[in-house]
Amino acid sequence: MPKPDGYIEIRFGPRWKYISPARVFIQNFIAIALSDQTKADSIAMATSELLENAVKYGASEDTHCIVQAYPETGVIEASVTNHASAKGAQEVKELYERIMSGDPLEAYIAQMREAATRTDGKSQLGLARIRYETGADVKLDVTPDNRVTITIIVK
Amino acid sequence: MNKLNIEPVQQDKIKIDIVDNAEGLTTKFVGDIDMEDPSILLDPLFEKIHQGMVAKKVPFVVADFQALNFLNSSGIKAIAKWIMKLAMLPPDQKYQIRIAHNKAITWQVTSLPTLTFLVPGAVKVE
Repeated sequence: MPKPDGYIEIRFGPRWKYISPARVFIQNFIAIALSDQTKADSIAMATSELLENAVKYGASEDTHCIVQAYPETGVIEASVTNHASAKGAQEVKELYERIMSGDPLEAYIAQMREAATRTDGKSQLGLARIRYETGADVKLDVTPDNRVTITIIVK
Repeated sequence: MNKLNIEPVQQDKIKIDIVDNAEGLTTKFVGDIDMEDPSILLDPLFEKIHQGMVAKKVPFVVADFQALNFLNSSGIKAIAKWIMKLAMLPPDQKYQIRIAHNKAITWQVTSLPTLTFLVPGAVKVE
């Protein structure tokens, strides 16, 4: 991929109250970088979902988000990284494999139905929502020390 | 007060009003649902609406999201949970959820129609 024309990098301690301003900031950044409000809204929603997961399930005080814009091709790449527990990292891997297989809408509906019956307080809807609603390529990388990075590429 | 005697609720950045309309009920959402656990607010509210709709045989409820700027997936889960209650009702107790959405808000265009797939016939997007 060529060098991005613009990027932002946000690093914050896992506090819920910072997600909303980060979402608005990312939304404005993309709207300016690409002059595409619909794409800005979609990616802001997607990164917000990833940040929520990182804050909710993060095992340390470090959530890291990078958004890169490629205006010539209209591509946006956004990634969110956090440190998870070994159990949390394994759960993300299993969820990712389940959601990425099959049709995006069917996976989203199945996940919604499952979420409605969950009693553990989790929704586990974010990845399925991102995949279906943004049409993004979604990639997962988990390092041996359980640093979890989810990257979305929206064309 | 509305026909189900349900009080409006407000928490963080969201206000939810419940008002009567000509034939049914309207639940109006204004603001953002982006708190960590919206089920604390939404689950009891949707349960009250559901019980009231069934008890008073109200034919439909409008879920008016037109002034809702953001809804996170935990909020979607709470709405899905409400919709799934309709699948359990016998035919003579069923009611319909009519979703009013704002085409100028991107997430509403992509998120809300998916809710119609949960329980066939239970939800209509207007």
